[in-house]
Amino acid sequence: MTRGECLCGAVAFELEGELRPIYACHCTQCRKTSGHFWAATSVPDDAMTMTRQDGLQWYQSSATTRRGFCNQCGASLFWVPEGEGRTVVAAGSLDGETGLEIKAHVFVRDKGDYYRICDGLPHFEEFKGDEGA
Amino acid sequence: MKVLKGSCLCGAVTFETTADPQGVSMCHCRQCRKQSGGIWSSAYVAFRDLQIRGDVQWFAASDAANRGSCPRCSSFLFWKAHDENTISFSLGAVDGPTGLTLEKHIFTADKGDYYTLADDVPQKP
Repeated sequence: MTRGECLCGAVAFELEGELRPIYACHCTQCRKTSGHFWAATSVPDDAMTMTRQDGLQWYQSSATTRRGFCNQCGASLFWVPEGEGRTVVAAGSLDGETGLEIKAHVFVRDKGDYYRICDGLPHFEEFKGDEGA
Repeated sequence: MKVLKGSCLCGAVTFETTADPQGVSMCHCRQCRKQSGGIWSSAYVAFRDLQIRGDVQWFAASDAANRGSCPRCSSFLFWKAHDENTISFSLGAVDGPTGLTLEKHIFTADKGDYYTLADDVPQKP
């Protein structure tokens, strides 16, 4: 089991089972939300249990997607594509060693101009699904 | 005069400065990782040189500093230490090219285990 929580602890959750590798997203929305780029795993809805959600608030970030965050500390936690039965969970919110690796950088066409991607991992101009799976 | 402008995801908070930003960094501390969801990148200017519009939610994760975000969309925008007259702003929030270059990785001892730092930018534990 993997546990995660926001910065202040007003939102906490548990994830069951093996987690999907992480994608680092450089799209404008993720860059604005996170302040740099957003990195996340993904879990089916039945593998996720909210253990505390006092601070959980949602922002409708597009017609079909919403972002979950803590309204007390501001931590960015979730991204949910409607109708897919899964939640994309911020890697930064996971506690302790995750044992995960970044699989690819996505939406690099939107990346910031002040950093370079040098880790040799695949990167994609956009992201249409589970690239390279 | 060069004007650098930024905004949160929903546009409720905007900021701008004409000062030359300093200390272009990526922060890997636990607090920044938790709040950003990944890594936070920022630069700083004198507090008086950053014009902020809109309501900012400030959170004190420690006694030393406040963290500013948009209460509507949660974008992590600012970091302000109590004993410094500067304010750091999110580089991810900057609209268009920043014209800046990363100078350092900080708090790398707290970095996540799921990524490597492969660039040649100096690292401070």
